Amino acid sequence: MGAPVRGRLLDLVLVLGGLLMIAPLVWLIITALAEPINAFQLPPQWIPRPPTLQNFQQVPELIPFAQMAWNSLQIAVITTAGALLTSALAAYAFSRLRFPGRDQIFSVLLAALVVPVQLTVVPIFIMMRWLHLVDTTVAIWLPALVNVFGIFFLRQYIASIPRELDEAAIMDGASHFWILFRVILPLARPGLTALGIFVFEASWNNFFWPYIFLSSPEKMTLPVGLVSLQGAMGGGPAVVLFAAITLVVLPILVLFLIFQRSFIASIATTGLRA
Amino acid sequence: MKPQRRDWLPGYLFISPAVLLFLVFVAAPLVAAFGLSLFHWDLLSTPEFAGLDNFRQLVTDGATIRAVINTFVFAISSVITHIGIGMLLALGVHRTMTRGTKYFVRTAFFFPFLVSWAAVALVWKYVLDPTFGLANYYLSATTNWLASPTWALPTLIVVDWWHTIGYTFIILLAGLQTVPAQLHEAARVDGANAWWRFWSVTLPVMSPTIFFATVITFIGAFQIFDPMVIMTQGGPDGATRSIVQYTYEKGFQSFEIGYAAALSLVLFVVIMIVTGLQFRLSRRWVHL
Repeated sequence: MGAPVRGRLLDLVLVLGGLLMIAPLVWLIITALAEPINAFQLPPQWIPRPPTLQNFQQVPELIPFAQMAWNSLQIAVITTAGALLTSALAAYAFSRLRFPGRDQIFSVLLAALVVPVQLTVVPIFIMMRWLHLVDTTVAIWLPALVNVFGIFFLRQYIASIPRELDEAAIMDGASHFWILFRVILPLARPGLTALGIFVFEASWNNFFWPYIFLSSPEKMTLPVGLVSLQGAMGGGPAVVLFAAITLVVLPILVLFLIFQRSFIASIATTGLRA
Repeated sequence: MKPQRRDWLPGYLFISPAVLLFLVFVAAPLVAAFGLSLFHWDLLSTPEFAGLDNFRQLVTDGATIRAVINTFVFAISSVITHIGIGMLLALGVHRTMTRGTKYFVRTAFFFPFLVSWAAVALVWKYVLDPTFGLANYYLSATTNWLASPTWALPTLIVVDWWHTIGYTFIILLAGLQTVPAQLHEAARVDGANAWWRFWSVTLPVMSPTIFFATVITFIGAFQIFDPMVIMTQGGPDGATRSIVQYTYEKGFQSFEIGYAAALSLVLFVVIMIVTGLQFRLSRRWVHL
């Protein structure tokens, strides 16, 4: 008799905790939809009154939002595709091919996992300045094309695929390229998806690197653009900032609700946080 | 059959894109950071050799010491609150409950992790606003959280917890689901109560997961930058300045490149030591 009651009570505590967790996000969206004059009222209006889109219409007047979204998307897509490709090629070589120095090279790469980007950023900034690439999107995606964790992760994944399959293909005279793209990678799809989601999300949400390298509004990614909007507001209405934040946050939350299983699997299998 | 030299070619070919990029964007900058730390340079004039000047400045500069302390406080609090509360949450959700409840709780606690730090920091600045923020309204307080030397750092710890707990929660929940039910059953038959079953079955089986989450959480927290830059600019009076933020200020605002490089080496060394230490300690308690 006591156990079910205690279970219900615990459920209640967890649900209340969950409501508390999403409260700031709900407040964000409600405020973005409010008339500027009612936006920051206390007590907060949890039930939105007639919503308005006027705050959203004002966003492009203050920052080149569409351009920023395009920059973010472009960088995230190039980074994800590039990092998956270089990682898959290297992972295949490290797990399936024989060549002198293989294990030593792999150990060096693995050791580099403890090198923080905050250490390499100063020299890379100097390098990019020298190449006249500061304040371009290239400076963001080019260094991200190599992903040491990706190599390590896919190597583990490929190692779990039985060798008989590629040995049969070798007998048939298939090239390593063919084996990798036609035999191994289709079988490694769950691993590629998990890694891909992780890399894309990290790139899409990244603030540190674009904040340092990008200074003109039309080159900025969305996270940096949002922060610049806050600075440019002056006496402007804060609701426009809330509308811009909503435009950045909402698509990710909707994508998550649709692909929840893959998102969770991505974290549970890669084990990484952005 | 002896391996032919030409058989090696595909291997080198396949690793070459990754290795070349690695040399240019990881290895060379790592070496360069060591080199730069021995110079005074403002990016414009000729670099001037400084020997160990920058490192001497490191141990006497009050702002650096403050930033190192802040970062340790932030990282240690972060690990304790993430792993502790994350474990309770995982245990709370890993029970019999209706599918809807489970779905809601899991999703709600995970949502904030998907949101970019930039958006999180901006929204929370308004939540914490002393006059029209939600926090003070519901707490019936008048504290200016982000401007108070006492409260600013703890407040950022709370905001970071809100943003990142979804990660810890999912990792720990995944670990909890690997604990075999038979082990629990066997312990129950032996008369072990819930607390003892947790202590002698769940915890040992989960120790690799807890260990892993601890390392990742610590390293992530140690590199904290975004909320400080967006919410407090390191203030008030350096109370929330982190190592990475100070590196940024020195390198990209006052252009003391050598000093910034020396600071970033501190971060590197601490991450290396902590990772090594955690791996060494883990041999005592992690059952792999």
